[in-house]
Amino acid sequence: MSGIGSIGPHVAKPVAGGCLVVASLVLLPVVATSYQLGTLVVSMVFLLPALGLNLILGYTGMLSLAQMGFFGVGGYTSALLAMHFGTPFWLNFLAACVVPALVAIPLAIPALRLRHTSFVMCTIAFVFILESVSKNWVSVTRGDMGLSSVPRPRLGLWSGGFEVHTVVQYYYLGLLLCMLAVAALVAIVRSPAGRYMIAIREDEILAASVGGRTWHYRLAAFVLSAAFAGAGGSYYVHYITVISPTVFDPSYTNTVLVVVLGGGVGTISGPILGSVVFVALSEALRVAPELRMMIYGLILTVSVFAFPKGLIELLASVAKRAWPLRARRSHAD
Amino acid sequence: MPTEPQTALSLRGVKKSFGPIVAVADVDLDIAAGGICGLIGPNGSGKSTLFDCCTGLVLPTAGRILAGPTDITGWEMARIARQERLFRSFQKAVVFRALSAEENLVLAGQMAAFPGLVSTFSFGPISRRRVRDLRARAGELLERVGLAHMRHAKAGEMSFGQQKLLQFASMLMPEPRIILLDEPFAGINPVLIQRIVDNIRMVNREGGVTFVIVEHNIDVLRELSHRLVVLSRGRILADGDPNDVIRDPRVVEAYLAG
Repeated sequence: MSGIGSIGPHVAKPVAGGCLVVASLVLLPVVATSYQLGTLVVSMVFLLPALGLNLILGYTGMLSLAQMGFFGVGGYTSALLAMHFGTPFWLNFLAACVVPALVAIPLAIPALRLRHTSFVMCTIAFVFILESVSKNWVSVTRGDMGLSSVPRPRLGLWSGGFEVHTVVQYYYLGLLLCMLAVAALVAIVRSPAGRYMIAIREDEILAASVGGRTWHYRLAAFVLSAAFAGAGGSYYVHYITVISPTVFDPSYTNTVLVVVLGGGVGTISGPILGSVVFVALSEALRVAPELRMMIYGLILTVSVFAFPKGLIELLASVAKRAWPLRARRSHAD
Repeated sequence: MPTEPQTALSLRGVKKSFGPIVAVADVDLDIAAGGICGLIGPNGSGKSTLFDCCTGLVLPTAGRILAGPTDITGWEMARIARQERLFRSFQKAVVFRALSAEENLVLAGQMAAFPGLVSTFSFGPISRRRVRDLRARAGELLERVGLAHMRHAKAGEMSFGQQKLLQFASMLMPEPRIILLDEPFAGINPVLIQRIVDNIRMVNREGGVTFVIVEHNIDVLRELSHRLVVLSRGRILADGDPNDVIRDPRVVEAYLAG
């Protein structure tokens, strides 16, 4: 749980910790109810675009609010392929990563000329554009009605294969996809390109002065973040089996922002924790429907005051208190 | 083997204005390869702007800039750094604060170790070996500038003097040809100043690296540089042997007036 952007040789302990977490996640369906697993499936739906937001915001330093736009593009791509061509899930999923990334390129070329708030505004505008396209391109998207009875994920090489049906199966599929996505994010941020991205976040001019082709890496971060979002869209659309222009609603963007910022931006485990806590919290509060969003907002406010760097801070301080000696030693070596 | 070009950096009629304000009026300057050239002048005389023009941070309003035989006018900063191995330091933004000292150096060395854009996304064994080599070189350089004990410390937690030393070391990572230093001795203690001076001399003598140094500490600069150029109101006021230049009455006047 070391700080923002630390990339070092001390990975043995995180790896061991990661294995433990993965093992318990794999065994979770033994004890968890299907309702709880369903909540985790929703967490994972939001985790995928959140990982992309984390790459662009946490590691490259640009706030993009276009994530759920690309999420929608990925969702529509995946749904249309499955509905019209009956393609297997792996192909739909792949296309749902590639198509948003391709859509992101022409959007990024003008947007990346902008900085700070102007860039943020531009990314908000993308979502409006995509929403409008999804509403008006009726022959493909069926407009406001959206696409319904999207086939469930079919796990097979081409034809036939196993169809994901139960919530436990969705849970395992999501777990696999999220683990792949986390591995991809770790690989990106630890590569030399990731080092340039962190440099851009820290100081763009200084990054250029050490030979960083800043425009290229900002573009790469934007395009890759769109691919992560599209991956989430694919998983989402085959889970709820419908998609309509409401997917571009700002409330989804807000959830992704809360997951990343509330969890811990610029860390790997922050958004993972954030996706579980904040989505689960929102679900748990359904016991009091009238007060639900009020309590949610209060908890969010308090947690921002208590842990400005995200919930990951809480976890890190708990770990430090539990193993003070080890924490100190790992700091020294 | 091609012969080493005699001139490392040439400025031909370089002019830079920001709206009505003329920062650099008209500068012709040839920096000899392998030399240490000091650049002084009152505040606002255009020293930093001249550096900005040479490194591609700003586009000169008029004039050409050549690195050796290559015209680099209008090139982007990163391209000038990568292709011409021309680096600069900044007065304020010194290091990447969130990265460790070692990571700062690895980052600076990447442009030489990973020339292709696509190769930087690789995390395979070849990439990992290159990064390992960069770490080893970073270790040697940290040793050389006396920061070996800070290897894994966050750069943002180091003292300002240490950060400047680290910045200097980071410019040595990718085998530099020309280094432009913007006030390398400002705000740091004499012991660290001496350490930087020794390193500049060593790198210049052994590596043949050309230095251009902007600095207000004239005593240090007079001792260190082979040539001193004085800039005043965007023009070259005096140019020559450091000891002669400092006694030049026009220079004395410009400083008193400035």
